[in-house]
Amino acid sequence: MSEPVADAVREGETATRTIPAGRPLVVLAGGLFWGWLLLRWLNDWLGGLFVPRGEPFVSPEAVEALGAAVPALRGLFDSTAFAVTYLPALSAGVWLTIVLTATSIALGFVLAVPLSVARVYGRWTSYLSLAYTELLRGTPLLAQLFVIYYGLNFVQYVPPLLDGVFANNAVWAAIVGFTLNSAAYQAEYIRSALLSVESGQLTAGRAIGLTKLQAIRYVVLPQGLRFAIPGWTNELIYLIKYSSLAAFITVPELFQRTNAIASDNFRYTAMFSLAALLYLALVISASRLMNAVEDRVAIPGLGARGR
Amino acid sequence: MSDPLLRVERVSKSYGDEQVLREISFEMDRGDVTVLIGPSGSGKSTMLRCVNRLTEVDSGEIYLDGERVTGPDVDVNELRRQVGMVFQDFNLFAHLTARGNVMLGPRQVLGLSKEEARRRADEQLALVGLADQADSYPAELSGGQKQRVGIARALAMEPKLMLFDEPTSALDPELIGEVLEVMRDLVERGMTMLVVTHEMSFARSVASEIMFLDGGRIVERGPPEQLFERPEHDRTATFLRRITQLHS
Repeated sequence: MSEPVADAVREGETATRTIPAGRPLVVLAGGLFWGWLLLRWLNDWLGGLFVPRGEPFVSPEAVEALGAAVPALRGLFDSTAFAVTYLPALSAGVWLTIVLTATSIALGFVLAVPLSVARVYGRWTSYLSLAYTELLRGTPLLAQLFVIYYGLNFVQYVPPLLDGVFANNAVWAAIVGFTLNSAAYQAEYIRSALLSVESGQLTAGRAIGLTKLQAIRYVVLPQGLRFAIPGWTNELIYLIKYSSLAAFITVPELFQRTNAIASDNFRYTAMFSLAALLYLALVISASRLMNAVEDRVAIPGLGARGR
Repeated sequence: MSDPLLRVERVSKSYGDEQVLREISFEMDRGDVTVLIGPSGSGKSTMLRCVNRLTEVDSGEIYLDGERVTGPDVDVNELRRQVGMVFQDFNLFAHLTARGNVMLGPRQVLGLSKEEARRRADEQLALVGLADQADSYPAELSGGQKQRVGIARALAMEPKLMLFDEPTSALDPELIGEVLEVMRDLVERGMTMLVVTHEMSFARSVASEIMFLDGGRIVERGPPEQLFERPEHDRTATFLRRITQLHS
């Protein structure tokens, strides 16, 4: 708990929390974004519930017409009309970006917990964990994806049960790549959090007769994982953006779709600005969500939120 | 003729070049309260930790209830469920309530059902006077309350022997009394206790034997009256004089 780095992070957290941000504005924007996204997916999956599949909810021509009526704001209305035209296509990419990120961070977490425990408490397993972490953190993620997708031709190993869940099985290759890579980073965050749990906690657990694994499971991990939340949130935010690398192995996520449309209409700046806004909305949502999780699991006297 | 509950035979322990225990031998019968006193660094805490093998001895043997506890083939978890330990810094599980702290051992080590473990935890908390604090987290308790939870946590395992490692040293003076009171209750209930403490009046009133350790050796041992009134060694006399002055 007295680890200076961890304290600095926690103090930083507290500071951002006390800034009276335009909370209602954020909530409103978040509600609009997610409301639109959910309606959009629902509409397109159910084969055109409100408007034909892939068609905007509001006609871009109508928006442009509004702009013609108010010449002073013409540019704004033109941009909005542009966004309205292409957002439906991008929303499907947002879906894959979320699926890639959520699945990989979750599976990566499942791997990261044993990796970090092995690293902190293991004997020979600690070297195994170190080797894994260094290998995965020390090589480019894109290279890892290429090895999995092109090198190993991973698509041929997708089991029949999972085959066809996504239109393109490259998604599975991407999930495997992101999971393996993210596990290494998450393990590092969790490792440093485990080290900040007081050593007396493990001793006390052993003293009542818990085995080492039980003491880790019931005493150290519940505390360490709470300490790990801020760092882990960082990894989640990175992964949202790194998931764009899946475009290079043909996964039609947000970046890939943006790029495909831009190379068609040559409006690169506009298209990627639009994509940037969508990524930003995802990132802000993720960090808000993790803030809420951190508050939810806070325990009096433990970590930043408990104070 | 039954074995003594605890038999320590010629136990030695070094950390690097520093020998903290030199051939320590003593015995405790059931219901005995043995108090270890001595200057800091004299090996008292190390001796305690050798008994439940939080620290491994270099040489010598320790027997609990006739069973050898030193040696590589001993199940240390089985040993530790029979030996309760109370720490100077409490070491309460910071993420669990008082009740959760006491329940964890019965639940995970003894395999009691959740209801049974909970009942046992509430009983033990009531015995240390904390029935009303069962849902408090460690950070919400005073030092004295924390230490009483620590005692309840150890007692919930129904140990044969309790080890107290300076249980009141980290407490504000006004909180020491409540912890000593709980320990006195425990003595009256017949618990066998090996206690490291600087509370001389407590030692004097409850100990069946006091051992004065210095430099890793038992310099002097005997019933409290003998040690306090007719110490044989100058070192014992000097230490007792200094410590009683400090605490009066």
